[in-house]
Amino acid sequence: MSFLLTLAWKNLSRYKRRTLITACALAFGIAMFLWMDGWLQGAARESERNIIWYESGSAKVMTTDYLEDIKSMPLKHAIQDPAAVEKALEGAGVTTTRRTVFAGEIFYGEGSMYVKVIGIDPQTDETIYRLSDTLAQGRYLETGESGVVLGEWLAQDLGITVGEEITIRTRTRYGAFQTLDLVVVGVLNSPNPVINKGTAYVPLSLADEALEMEGAVTEITLFFPEWQDPEAKVESLRERLSGFPGLTVESWKDLARDFLMIAQMKSAGSSIILFLVFIIAAVGISNTMLMAVYERVREIGMMRAMGMKDGAIRVAFLFEAGGIGLIGTLAGIVIGLVLNWYMVNYGIDFTNLMGQGQMDIGYRVTGVFRSAWHPQAFVGGFIIGVVAAMVFSFIPSSRALKMQITEALRYE
Amino acid sequence: MIKVENVTKNYSVGQTVVHALRGVTLAIEKSEFLSIAGPSGSGKTTLLNLIGCLDKATSGEIYIVGEAVSSKSKKELALLRRRRLGFVFQSFNLIPVLSAYENVSFALSLLGVNGSEIKERTYKLLEEVGLKGMETRLPGELSGGQQQRVAVARALIKEPDMVLADEPTANLDSDTGREILDLMAAMNEIHGTTFVFSTHDQMVMDYARRLVRLHDGEVTSDERRGT
Repeated sequence: MSFLLTLAWKNLSRYKRRTLITACALAFGIAMFLWMDGWLQGAARESERNIIWYESGSAKVMTTDYLEDIKSMPLKHAIQDPAAVEKALEGAGVTTTRRTVFAGEIFYGEGSMYVKVIGIDPQTDETIYRLSDTLAQGRYLETGESGVVLGEWLAQDLGITVGEEITIRTRTRYGAFQTLDLVVVGVLNSPNPVINKGTAYVPLSLADEALEMEGAVTEITLFFPEWQDPEAKVESLRERLSGFPGLTVESWKDLARDFLMIAQMKSAGSSIILFLVFIIAAVGISNTMLMAVYERVREIGMMRAMGMKDGAIRVAFLFEAGGIGLIGTLAGIVIGLVLNWYMVNYGIDFTNLMGQGQMDIGYRVTGVFRSAWHPQAFVGGFIIGVVAAMVFSFIPSSRALKMQITEALRYE
Repeated sequence: MIKVENVTKNYSVGQTVVHALRGVTLAIEKSEFLSIAGPSGSGKTTLLNLIGCLDKATSGEIYIVGEAVSSKSKKELALLRRRRLGFVFQSFNLIPVLSAYENVSFALSLLGVNGSEIKERTYKLLEEVGLKGMETRLPGELSGGQQQRVAVARALIKEPDMVLADEPTANLDSDTGREILDLMAAMNEIHGTTFVFSTHDQMVMDYARRLVRLHDGEVTSDERRGT
């Protein structure tokens, strides 16, 4: 075995340039895979955090009828007695806040725009959501005031600044038209583009009165620590609320199912890069090993004549290809580490690109895109790089071993 | 030690069947220094390949130390070659990335000999073949004669029953060729190893103590000479 390793190692240095080129191609593929994977992982993790912090909390309680028709935000399917629900949840290890979500049309100047309006309790909302931390202009909402806080992109679209008045037209719980004249008290620049793009926040007390909710709310947001498994936690909460027919608890994962599906599809992109690494290994290593094998047919013939087993000769070529794979993969991992280190610590700032164009690329991230460390990708990339290199040397070496020894010894 | 009994070997070249050997019978005893001579196409390399278990006869049988080779599997033949036979090739066939020492010791490592014994035997044999001080040189750093000395050492290191040499001097000038033949003759004397050459070089024929002539795949003469 030590002879085979020595032979493989020395043969690697036999064609330095060829080894280097093949290893470089492999290193490039591995580095690109690690960079892309880290980026996608970072965007997905940050998006998940931004969904919990700005969009849905850890879970929401709502009526099953409301959930079925959630896109049209039907006020008639509100939770009638939120206090009773909150009481039932006491001791469950969750923080709660009430919200009423409704559709509205904002009128400002000569224009109008349909938005999602959320009635929030400014005191309890802050225990779950981090909206107040993202104020770009003005101040946060106060209970009972006729004020509104807008997402920054929405404010820019409407051309509204803090202190100006807008009118929101909506329908009450019973279908009657209602208009709300509100002063813009603040503008939010949230890291979650959904919030920036088309959301307005008003005090819950104002929404309750204007929409004739009579204390009912469309949802109760729940928060529990991230380390708790959302599915298991939600299941236990559902059991706790089993005495409330018509109510359901949905985890953030259920509510953000559309995003998670897109994220999953995008992460398939990193699998495509991994596949490309395979192709690089297949083409590069096969070609390099094919040339190596054909240049050494007589040597192979001599070794077989001396009684060396075909399996041992194949192992020598596997080691040699594995050596190229190892050099390429290690170089790729080092480059990947450097790229990921930069991307984790500094990221790439897309503020100008996304802010001006208000670009939404599916992830709940705006501005700086940062990567996340994903050790499994490094381990996977390493194993695949080396193993693929070894696997793809199998065919060329098999070809040479099929040749008759006498034919191999005569080979020119 | 070696018996070749009524061996034939046919090759197909396109539609044509070439009869390379036509019923060759030959017995080779231990410690012989034998040359198989003949013009190109006479079948000498084919006969050497068959004795060396590198190829299979179309009919007939070859016995090596009493063992019939025709019924042996590929693996068994490889084992037989590894243990009992040594080879010297016309174009040396050394591994260019390995030093003279490594090229020789490689044959012992195939037999699973331990490291210290490999070292001792390899250095000793390299000294015997006149390559002391050149152990670390790569083949590219050695002359043709020195490379063939490495090849002879590689063939002899495992102390085989027989060394088969296919035109061992064909790529060497006559002085160097003579040196190699002297070396092989000396090794034959010292170690008692059987040497079988194929050649059409008169100088090699002159060195042989037994000369078997082939023509068109048949033995035409078998001449034994005094030492």
